[in-house]
Amino acid sequence: VYQVFENVAKKYDVMNDSMTLGIHRVWKDILMHKMNPCPGTLLLDVAGGTGDIAFRFINYVRSVRQRQLQRKLKQHQNLSWQEIFESYQKDKFNSLGDSQVVVCDINREMLKVGKQKAQHLGYSEGLSWVLGNAEELPFDDDKFDVYTIAFGIRNVTRIDLALQEAYRVLKPGGRFLCLEFSHVSNPLLSRLYDLYSFQVIPVLGEVIAGDWKSYQYLVESIRQFPPQEELKAMIEDAGFFKVDYENLNFGIVAIHSGFKL
Amino acid sequence: VRCQQCPPLRALQASAALGRASDEHKKEPLASSSQQHFDSPPAGHQPEQEPQGPHPSYTGQGGQESEDYESEEQLQHRILTAALEFVPEHGWTAEAIAEGAKTLGLSVAAAGLFHSDGSELVLHFVSECNTKLSKLLKKEQKLVQLGEAEKKPIDEFLRDAVEARLRMLIPYIEKWPQALSVLLLPRNIPSSLNLLTSMIDDIWHYAGDQSTDFNWYTRRAVLTGIYNTTELVMMQDSSPGFEDTWRFLENRVADAMAMSSTASQVQSTGEAVVQGLMGAAVTVSNAETSRAVR
Repeated sequence: VYQVFENVAKKYDVMNDSMTLGIHRVWKDILMHKMNPCPGTLLLDVAGGTGDIAFRFINYVRSVRQRQLQRKLKQHQNLSWQEIFESYQKDKFNSLGDSQVVVCDINREMLKVGKQKAQHLGYSEGLSWVLGNAEELPFDDDKFDVYTIAFGIRNVTRIDLALQEAYRVLKPGGRFLCLEFSHVSNPLLSRLYDLYSFQVIPVLGEVIAGDWKSYQYLVESIRQFPPQEELKAMIEDAGFFKVDYENLNFGIVAIHSGFKL
Repeated sequence: VRCQQCPPLRALQASAALGRASDEHKKEPLASSSQQHFDSPPAGHQPEQEPQGPHPSYTGQGGQESEDYESEEQLQHRILTAALEFVPEHGWTAEAIAEGAKTLGLSVAAAGLFHSDGSELVLHFVSECNTKLSKLLKKEQKLVQLGEAEKKPIDEFLRDAVEARLRMLIPYIEKWPQALSVLLLPRNIPSSLNLLTSMIDDIWHYAGDQSTDFNWYTRRAVLTGIYNTTELVMMQDSSPGFEDTWRFLENRVADAMAMSSTASQVQSTGEAVVQGLMGAAVTVSNAETSRAVR
């Protein structure tokens, strides 16, 4: 697995776009909307190497914070100019509202690409990059508000261990969110999807990234991954409550959600 | 091996979380405290049976073991109740729910248990108000039965019941137009209508079947019309102690009593209800825009 991603790291984003025809951005946006984080949320993004989820989180929280500040200012209509100026100053340095995201990945290359992207796009505050294994996270218990793993859990050898670790590092009331390729139940769509996966994707892999084998591995790992209900049962076994999943695009991708209650 | 222990372990953890969240100073061993919490939710969860039956639940739970079901729903109720405190500041939103969860010692992500538009919060509040009203009316009824209080004439009874119910809105009156618009969302209309009708039924139940002039539907419609229109008046009322609203209420109830003797009662009450509901939609949107402008 490590070598696959070493090869793939630099071209990761480009391949994502071409394979999924850019829809992966929509999927990640939907995940963020489902999370609906409010300022002050501490997010752990596992296997989030190149930072897609982390950047979206920061954008979302920033805009929510903006709205909060606007609303507060509206209520401050009776204050003197001095007081308004002071409160604005105080809040100006808190544009994220104390929210933070920790990006954890097993692969150093992916993290490197992620850091470069962050610098390039201008994300400076609220981000941390940590090298770690999803099956054995280098964090204390009860630390995070939300744990996400987007397109990463199928690469984990022991999914149950990863789920247990997720449960451990989440605060009580914390949320587990998993975005992953899943099983298409519609038979017609399933055939088209299979055709696309096995014929088109490895070819794209060869052409764009110069790596047929990695992308063949990718497609096969998607097929081998447990379907929605099975993953839901596994998440429940790890101790999560109110476990639910939402199919996107008829099951090509599914978002699983659970709470530590 | 782990799976075998799963159900009891999960249930225990849930109640452990409840125990942790609600009482951090308990020094008793975890097992006994969770046992205690386990016994109280089932007992406390059976409210006094109303004539109409138990309250509907808004948490959409189903198909789980009964013990976990009780714990999760109980927890959601507690989060929503805690969230009400933050409604004057944040409105009927997921933010208020997140703040409520924080006071219980839970992560703000627990707000994800509910819809992001705050629907459950509003429905929970309305349901709680209805329960409070029921209890109040039942208490009054007991007093009358024990001979410690006079039985009120029907118009006074209706007036007092509606006033008591509307007074519960006073702490949240600033954000109430927002709550009404949430209740009118197509998704919430079945639940909100259900709550409204069961509350009206409740009031009539305790009012007693005194008049033979009304039939059951007319009584319901009349009181619904009175309640809705008074609620709308209350939202735009700036008089001290809402005295304009109570006067309006008095007049409407008097009208209703007078109406009972006319033959055209059915038609006019039907119109009154329709007008009430239409007026609700228009007034709420007006109120929202006027407040937004302000």
